[in-house]
Amino acid sequence: MLSFDLHKRKLLTVFLLLIFIWSLLGIHWGPELFHTGGMATAGQVFAAMLQPDFSAEIVALGIESSWITLAYATAGMSLALILALLFGILGSGVLASGKRSRTFMKGTFRGILGFMRAIHELVWALFFVASFGLSPFAAVFALAIPYGGILGRIFADMLNDVPDEPIEALRASGASRLQCLLYGYLPAVKASMISYSMYRFECAVRSSAIMSFVGLGGLGYQIQLSLNDLNYHEVWSFMYFLIVLVVLIDGWSTMLRKRISI
Amino acid sequence: MRKPKFTFLTFSVYVFLFLIAASWYFVVGVEKASLIELFSRENLQYAGKFFKGLVGVGEEKIAFLSKDSWSEAIKLTVETLQMSIMAIGFSTVVMFLTVLPAARNVADGTLTLSKKWYSFLLFGLIRISYIFSRAIPELVWAMIVIFIFKPGILPGAIALALHNFGILGKLCAEVIEDTDSRPIRNLASAGAGRMQILLYGVLPSVLPQFLTYILYRWEVIMRTTIVVGFVGAGGLGQQFKLSMSFFHYTEITLLLVCYIVLVLIADFLSERSRYFVK
Repeated sequence: MLSFDLHKRKLLTVFLLLIFIWSLLGIHWGPELFHTGGMATAGQVFAAMLQPDFSAEIVALGIESSWITLAYATAGMSLALILALLFGILGSGVLASGKRSRTFMKGTFRGILGFMRAIHELVWALFFVASFGLSPFAAVFALAIPYGGILGRIFADMLNDVPDEPIEALRASGASRLQCLLYGYLPAVKASMISYSMYRFECAVRSSAIMSFVGLGGLGYQIQLSLNDLNYHEVWSFMYFLIVLVVLIDGWSTMLRKRISI
Repeated sequence: MRKPKFTFLTFSVYVFLFLIAASWYFVVGVEKASLIELFSRENLQYAGKFFKGLVGVGEEKIAFLSKDSWSEAIKLTVETLQMSIMAIGFSTVVMFLTVLPAARNVADGTLTLSKKWYSFLLFGLIRISYIFSRAIPELVWAMIVIFIFKPGILPGAIALALHNFGILGKLCAEVIEDTDSRPIRNLASAGAGRMQILLYGVLPSVLPQFLTYILYRWEVIMRTTIVVGFVGAGGLGQQFKLSMSFFHYTEITLLLVCYIVLVLIADFLSERSRYFVK
């Protein structure tokens, strides 16, 4: 692990510290950074954290919006998986026959994947809402495109990291490119693909919650509404719903990953 | 022993298939979303107008051809860069302060050979704070922080740091849990204090891994700066939202170009330095 020596590391640390200090200089430090009464608001917000509002009405609303959030995330994720498999396999270049066509395929499809994930899902959502209106498909597509990009790139990297020997054995016994993919590459990376997708699923739930910021329903929308009403107790009860949802999925994915890796 | 593994996996697969089916049913059946309606003539017209606006067809002032808007955009880009560095700096500082008691092998005393009555309490408290910070998206943190601070890059950086210190803390605590405990136990038995253990025992062996995670999170933060900007936390995102509300479509294109360039630079730098650390 320690392949770069101490001297270089000290230089790097000093350099990173200097950059951090430069970034701090970008602010005019002083009391005018706060709103008047900002601290009092902060106190109220954190006091409300300990006493969330769990009346029957809010709980029903919370469960409903949690389901909307989860549904958008799952639908988006299933679409993202299809996109990622398609572009990931094409972008890894394992299907190409010659050297030149391989570089060409890698370049094109990795470029597409890079573009898909360079733009944040909320920006995609804004675009879709601007052109299609407030349809649930706007949320699903806005999730599917950047997540397809991220997953696709990781899938492509995984496929490229598969050791050559088993593939060459398959080739020698007369398998075609497609058969190599189905019986050589995919079984080798299946476990890591599943565990990475599970990890991303958790992120997708969070993203789907903030997706509602542009007006699509869900937990984030409720949080925003309650914040606009300055009802911090309600804000925290929806937050707790979100936390429970994320923790549940996190626990599930950890359990699944442990089983797979054995 | 093979059987339970099999059942949990198949169970998960069934749950997944059910979830996917249910969510698509919900999206298409309950919410009455239809693809055909999505591509109706009216919608296509709106979409066409929007994309024409983006490239500047029929606009009076084309932002990406004027010098003033470029200099304005570059100023915002630098601000955004500062915001992202500040955010990762804050979260790194908080992570370093909390990561040692948050590692399981420190809490139960196998690493430092000393067990205090409060170490499990501390472990639990810090882990709960990590879960809190991780589970709440940065946008929601930003909405709350903006109540306290005036709009600018500081609230944005704080919101991003609040979300990311939990993730960084969890990742780095896992690194400490996986680290080789023998040299550190040696230090502890030679009488080193908490700070000395951190500086001479833990840090040297985990720093490369920490650096990889920090850079990876910086890359992600770069991508999310635009989002916290939407609620008024400064940088490119704030201007983006304003231009969107004023229908200044060519400005959106300009800001997007700056944003994508920033993201690509962050991607490239973090990839390079990861290679360097390896």
